[in-house]
Amino acid sequence: MFTYVLKTLWRHRTRTLLTVTGAAVAMFVFCFVGSVQEGLQRLTTGSDADRSLIVFQENRFCPTTSRLPEDYSRKIKEIPGVRDVMPIQVWTNNCRASLDIVVFNGADPQQIQSTRPLTLTAGDWQSFSTQRDAAIVGRNVAQRRGLKTGDQFSIGDISVKVAGVFQSTVPSEENLIYTSLAFLQYTRGLDAAGLVTQHEVLLTDDADPDRVASEIDAKLRAGSVATKTRRKGAFQASTLSDLVDLIGFAHWLGYACVGLVLSLVATTTVMSVQDRIKEYAVLQTIGVRPLRAMRLVLTESTILCLVGGIAGTALAMTALAIGGFAIGAEGATIAFRPSIGLAVTGALVSLAVGIAAGLAPAIQAGTVPIVNALRQA
Amino acid sequence: MALVELRGVSKSFRKGDETITPLDDIDLDIDAGDFVSLMGPSGTGKSTLLNLVSGIDRPDSGTITVDGTEVTKLSRSKLADWRAANLGYIFQTHNLIPVLTAYENVELPTLLLKLSSTQRRQRVELALEAVGLSDRADHYPRQLSGGQEQRVGIARAIVAHPKVVVADEPTGSLDTETSEQVQILLQRLNKELDITLLMVTHDSDAASIASRQLMLDRGKFLERGGDKEMGRQGEREVGVGNAGDSVAIKKFG
Repeated sequence: MFTYVLKTLWRHRTRTLLTVTGAAVAMFVFCFVGSVQEGLQRLTTGSDADRSLIVFQENRFCPTTSRLPEDYSRKIKEIPGVRDVMPIQVWTNNCRASLDIVVFNGADPQQIQSTRPLTLTAGDWQSFSTQRDAAIVGRNVAQRRGLKTGDQFSIGDISVKVAGVFQSTVPSEENLIYTSLAFLQYTRGLDAAGLVTQHEVLLTDDADPDRVASEIDAKLRAGSVATKTRRKGAFQASTLSDLVDLIGFAHWLGYACVGLVLSLVATTTVMSVQDRIKEYAVLQTIGVRPLRAMRLVLTESTILCLVGGIAGTALAMTALAIGGFAIGAEGATIAFRPSIGLAVTGALVSLAVGIAAGLAPAIQAGTVPIVNALRQA
Repeated sequence: MALVELRGVSKSFRKGDETITPLDDIDLDIDAGDFVSLMGPSGTGKSTLLNLVSGIDRPDSGTITVDGTEVTKLSRSKLADWRAANLGYIFQTHNLIPVLTAYENVELPTLLLKLSSTQRRQRVELALEAVGLSDRADHYPRQLSGGQEQRVGIARAIVAHPKVVVADEPTGSLDTETSEQVQILLQRLNKELDITLLMVTHDSDAASIASRQLMLDRGKFLERGGDKEMGRQGEREVGVGNAGDSVAIKKFG
């Protein structure tokens, strides 16, 4: 009987193709929206977001306006529960939301190597730590900007030599460019000698992040600049708050895509069953059970949805894998990454929508009054 | 005991404000191996009777028993199973599934039975041979003539070796010559395979090939003589053409 379903779909191939294409486009958008949400989730939760703190200037939100003394790191290190402190100078080409944001983080090369979860896929750490204008570039930036080891890369007043390309277990890191701290501090226009944008604080395993954060702010209150310390995840969520709202709203777009596939496949299947209601009556006259007739319709709608949905999901995964897309603001970036979870969700949503879309026409095919249907021309 | 027994069967329809009762307290017995033709003016309930016997419609009252099974008591699903195993239905308009080949159309009923793929293939091939269409197995309905389509429909009706085959004006949409070929085929199936046939027809020539000819008028059956030897007449007047031969039909049986 499966042959019957396949042949029916093939016989109406224009309709099948249009429905499958529609489902594919909708699931493509669904997966893209899903990957943005996953990116935000990864950025604001997980061990990197929860077990490290960001010390920022109080009441400042943009990296260009936060100017903390570099030697705060020494005072922070004295607080119990702090394992290491990395002063970071941030420079970004765009403070507002951008799809091609370039963010430089200047920090001590040795500290970067020892504290950040980075693996060089090209180049070497030696060149990075010995050359003043050397930079290591995140995989996504390299991909978007076509950078490779040895290239000279200039943006604004900054010009660096690419000493390596890295990948990271924290996807948002792959949208960063790391330089040495001194190089970025002395960049024309920043005038940040002895100053940094933020301090990243790494905690010991048993430290309570919120307690340590309060102690840091209390200790530095007596200093020249007051600070606001938060978990890294909370800091990034706050920095990207307008984007977070937008992404929160975008999940409705994901639901709308699911609704679109549902209505598209349901319409196609209803039309298909209504066109062939006599065929279903003939099948039941021959001895096909009503439930089996329903299963035939459900199989048809599920095939349409699964083929379109899986194609759209696969396309989205491919585009996300090769595109290296990211969105960012105020120096924080959200990476769009393909994931197995997203691929499985795409396939499962397609399956569920396929079944849901076929329910009404399946009931129609299974409960059709045989004699009335046979009389139809 | 008759193979098909109808007792006190009534069926009414609403047509606007009017209630029409074409079948009112009908009794009928059909023995195994009978070939019964059913004639009568339009609207007298011939097709309704056929639909009731085949279990695709239900009577308002009365019982219908086929080979000891009271079909009027079966649920819709059980009726489907019963039809798959016991009933063949030949439609006036053939009603072949357009996306399936002749072979696949004939194979459909066998997919509902517990048969091995070898048994299934064998049955389908023999059924197609019995109706003289082995060489058209791979053809789609649109590639067949009306008569060939009807013969595929007949092969589909007999492939599961049903106890009863019902035919609703099987020659109604065919030209005279093709119609006579189909009549010959039906008569051979009845005589050589002992298939019990109940056929509704408007065509008195078609009706005359049956062993029993019933006339349904105003809710009553009138029985006439019959059993014209269409085979001999066919050989003489229209020829059996490619409507299957005795050897093929016997092989199928």
